[in-house]
Amino acid sequence: MLENVVLTRRHYVPWRLRVRNFTGGIASGLVIAFAILVAAGVSPGAIVNEFIVQVFLNSRGLAQTVTTATPLIMVGLGAAAALKLRFWNIGVGGQVWLGALGSTWIAINDIGPPEMRLPLMLAVSVVAGSAWIAIPVFFKLRYGVNEIIMTLLLEYIAFRLVQHLVFGPWQDPNTSFPVSEHLDSIERLGRLGWGNAHSGIWIALGAGVLMWLLMERSRFGYYAEAIGLNPVTAKGTGLPVTLTIVLAVLLSGGLAGLAGGTIVAGAEYRLTQFLGQGYTFSAIVIAFIARFRPIPIVITAFVIAGIFTAGETLKVFYSLSEAIVILIESVILFSVLVSEFFSSFRIRVLKTAPAK
Amino acid sequence: MAKALELLGLSKAFDGNRVLHLASLEIEWGEVHALLGENGAGKSTIMNIANGVYAADAGEIRVDGRKVDISGPSDATSLGLGMVHQHFKLVKRFSVAENILLSCRRQLSITSVGEAALAVAAKGAEVGFPVKPDAVVGELSIAEQQRVEILKVLLLGAKIVILDEPTAVLTEEESGSVLSFVRNLALHGHAVVLITHKLREVIGYSDRVTVMRYGKTVLKGATANEQTAESLAMHMVGEHMPEIKPLKRQPGEERLVVERLSVSCLNGGVGVNQVNLSVRSGEILGIAGVGGNGQQELMDCLTGLRACSEGIIRLNGRNVTFASVAIRRNGGLRAIPSDRFGSGLVGNMPVFENLGMTRTTSGHYGRGIFFSRARMRQEAEKALAEYGILGATPITPTRLLSGGNAQKLLLARELEEGASILVAHSPTRGLDVRACNAVHTTIRDAVERGAACLLISEDLEEILGLSTRVAVMSHGRIVGEFSVGEATREVIGKLMLGHA
Amino acid sequence: MTVQFIINWIATTPQFALPLLLACVGLIISERAGILNLGAEGFMAVGALTAVIVSHDFGTPWWGLVAGIVAGTGLALLFGIAVVVFRTEQVLSGLTVVALGAGITGVAGRSYMHQTVKGIDKLDLGFLAKLPAVGKILFVQDPIVYIGVAIVVGLWWFLYRSSLGLQLRAVGEDPATADVAGVDVAAYRISAVLVSGALCGLSGAYLSVVSSQVWVEGMIAGRGWIAVALVIFARWNPLRAVFGAILFGGADALTPRLLAIGADVPVYLMNMLPYAVTLMVLIAPTVLKREVSAEPTALGTVYLRQDRH
Repeated sequence: MLENVVLTRRHYVPWRLRVRNFTGGIASGLVIAFAILVAAGVSPGAIVNEFIVQVFLNSRGLAQTVTTATPLIMVGLGAAAALKLRFWNIGVGGQVWLGALGSTWIAINDIGPPEMRLPLMLAVSVVAGSAWIAIPVFFKLRYGVNEIIMTLLLEYIAFRLVQHLVFGPWQDPNTSFPVSEHLDSIERLGRLGWGNAHSGIWIALGAGVLMWLLMERSRFGYYAEAIGLNPVTAKGTGLPVTLTIVLAVLLSGGLAGLAGGTIVAGAEYRLTQFLGQGYTFSAIVIAFIARFRPIPIVITAFVIAGIFTAGETLKVFYSLSEAIVILIESVILFSVLVSEFFSSFRIRVLKTAPAK
Repeated sequence: MAKALELLGLSKAFDGNRVLHLASLEIEWGEVHALLGENGAGKSTIMNIANGVYAADAGEIRVDGRKVDISGPSDATSLGLGMVHQHFKLVKRFSVAENILLSCRRQLSITSVGEAALAVAAKGAEVGFPVKPDAVVGELSIAEQQRVEILKVLLLGAKIVILDEPTAVLTEEESGSVLSFVRNLALHGHAVVLITHKLREVIGYSDRVTVMRYGKTVLKGATANEQTAESLAMHMVGEHMPEIKPLKRQPGEERLVVERLSVSCLNGGVGVNQVNLSVRSGEILGIAGVGGNGQQELMDCLTGLRACSEGIIRLNGRNVTFASVAIRRNGGLRAIPSDRFGSGLVGNMPVFENLGMTRTTSGHYGRGIFFSRARMRQEAEKALAEYGILGATPITPTRLLSGGNAQKLLLARELEEGASILVAHSPTRGLDVRACNAVHTTIRDAVERGAACLLISEDLEEILGLSTRVAVMSHGRIVGEFSVGEATREVIGKLMLGHA
Repeated sequence: MTVQFIINWIATTPQFALPLLLACVGLIISERAGILNLGAEGFMAVGALTAVIVSHDFGTPWWGLVAGIVAGTGLALLFGIAVVVFRTEQVLSGLTVVALGAGITGVAGRSYMHQTVKGIDKLDLGFLAKLPAVGKILFVQDPIVYIGVAIVVGLWWFLYRSSLGLQLRAVGEDPATADVAGVDVAAYRISAVLVSGALCGLSGAYLSVVSSQVWVEGMIAGRGWIAVALVIFARWNPLRAVFGAILFGGADALTPRLLAIGADVPVYLMNMLPYAVTLMVLIAPTVLKREVSAEPTALGTVYLRQDRH
């Protein structure tokens, strides 16, 4: 097709070109999202107001953004930990569910001494998330089973497990809604006195710092980078490939589980039917746009959190489905993916017409 | 009579890398024309332009005297150009007939596998190449696959037949067969272009020769006038390359011992079958053989990437048969894989991160989770200077390095402290003569200092030129072993085919 | 578990198996051309919603199905241009398309939630339908089931018995060879993706208009992903896909049957069944026996003529 146009692969991609194309991708994604919102009936002024002013420049809005960002930071970090090594953890949401489940279990059964209850809940949420992802990584390493489908199927199973529990054995006897009992006060993450923001944000930021140290400054991060870029060479030069993959993937699941734990302990104070929805794709968007680097992940997570916060308002005041958020995210990611083309390839149009 | 094919003043650059510069080639009808040059001279590139795979940046192409524009492989085919590539353009999972249907459906006006089977069987009978239309291509031998390629090209109506290094993957006997066939084609009026770097083939089988060097055509003339290999070699390389000095050191203690080693192959093909080897310090054992006879499996098993099904491997006396890669490296084993960017280096990492990779596990750059990139960078600076790797800094992305520099980098990394056994697989594949020489000198110097080297290569010149002992590998077995003085091409050639 | 129960169970299996089968065969065509297609869930979603919208607004379920096909093809065009022309990363692009599908249908479908539409009646094939056991199973299905089976057989013939199908498979095995043989690699790849979009769109439309006769956000519920897994189980062969679809469809069909006879089953745990079965089926072959992979050799790769081959 198009015999006049010749495509060649760029061997050397100048840094400036890469930045220019990336910004172009983000920008065009935002423009298209803007157009979609306008087409859906939101005035341009309202868009700017809701997405920038109300979520970042307004104290209550910013507090809400911070609250929403708390689990997003952690799932973003978690997704990046696995994706960097090209382990496609597409079932991040499932690990979030397991983390929420684990911490709820500790809470409603009042396991452990009161002073240790909250740390125990969070620790169990990490373990639960790791355990959930341990299944696919085991089958991938031992038998070569495709992890894309496995992690995703486990997410569907995890969701149904939680539904079963909140409609059944764990349902709060005082209500007919599918929710668990409320958490006791010792089982809750403290509020910061700023809107709904809770101390889970410190956990999230702490995780960000730890991941930065681990991925960018430690030997582990060096191994992870090599394995992600060329696993054959990594094996051949004696790097501990299997161990690194297992640790990175378990870390991925653990961070996602921790996110689930903080949602339960900090935002909802109980297990609900839908608290884990929508994290999988957001995690992937955050991780990919931030190029798997921890500090950009924290920043990107905040931006995405802003979009979520605005989306909530749009839902109430403009009757827009909350699916608008995933629509915006996917449009942006799509634009960024396409923009990479212009960095990787060079286009030439031949002046001579093909002979026939 | 007009010339069959004229390529005039062709220039081509790949992303800033100039590969062809005003190169010209004139092929007459009824001749075998050798296109001679070392690796990287531009021979394949210029013929791929003629074949429509690449587009030239500048220059003119004429077929049978008429100026033409070739914008794709179909144009080339309809003009009567057919190329037998080094990597055959055959779908390995399809049968011979299915491949013929795929490639020749328009030229032969066929629509079914059955028709294709008849056509290829008929052509095969016509030119004396027997072929089984229902055979799956992937299960045929390399020589048989090549025959299918040639039949395909003829069925496409090619009058100008280009063969790209046809004997690179064949045994001596198979090479002779193909080259005679090619002479026969010329006698019947075809124009044949033979791309090669083997001087003896040029002298033995071609009518005229064009020599290329660094993307330019430097010599054109009748082969008879340039009879001596010396003169042709001079034009290919542009200077006299010093010969590698023979090893002076006496063989010492056994460093690598392999007993009854068997390795199975992933797709059920030939693996390694009861191989016994031993290499001492100060000697180079060359394993000759055509690719696909178990060399890759042997390499992978020795380095620790693949498990054996039986046998024992000993490094400096220690049994490492089940040991990990890291333990073998600590025991002194070093490896140069044949795919330098695919298995030996991480292209997207900077040079210093590749150079230091093998020392990270020992804690040299930091124990536990600590890590000093600064130290890695300093040591890389030193290594680059010591090994004469020009044009690269420690932070250059490794994939930008030339093949020769990348190989020097690999050697620098592998031969750092503690290397006592070097296993090298096709270490000079794709390299030009100067880089080849540098690699050979480095290996020889390491062995002179006391290392042992196991050299696996399909290039018989390399084996005969560098080794102290030679073994031949065929169908996974070692079928012959000699000291380098005893080994002759004829004997080795017969062994490769499986005759005693 | 009476015989009657089993007969009823098998009789309802086709309507659960068909959407999986259609989506799976669509994906097989796409992957046979070398494009790793994870967008099934997205194509099915837009197909389902569009079918309901047309069906609801115009009262014509058949045109609803056609609309579903068009919608699925449209989203697939976006995916196809991205991965073939712009050579974007295929796994990520597939996931993004799923999200796009969820986003578009979530937003556009808000006003259509829970609104029932007219379905398509099952065929009444006269005396054939009255045959004991067999009659109910084979001859009382809605017409799409029969059309679907015909499509699958047709695509099998196309892939393995036609010259065009050979060219398509060549693109998926060795695009460099196909290119030199004069096959337009990009055109075949995009066409294959469009076919997968059409079939997945039809699958989604069937789910919404025929099966449940309503649009609910998230109603595809991972069946697109089961179809992706089914491709591997079917070893990229449309006929084997039929067996897989029956297996998973059967698992999907069990829960409603049990509820219908009033069995007291934990609903959400039972709902896990199709996914759990899929997991088992994914794991079992690799654990039990190391077979040679039937995966198209060039699956998921990018093809560029100028790349050195």
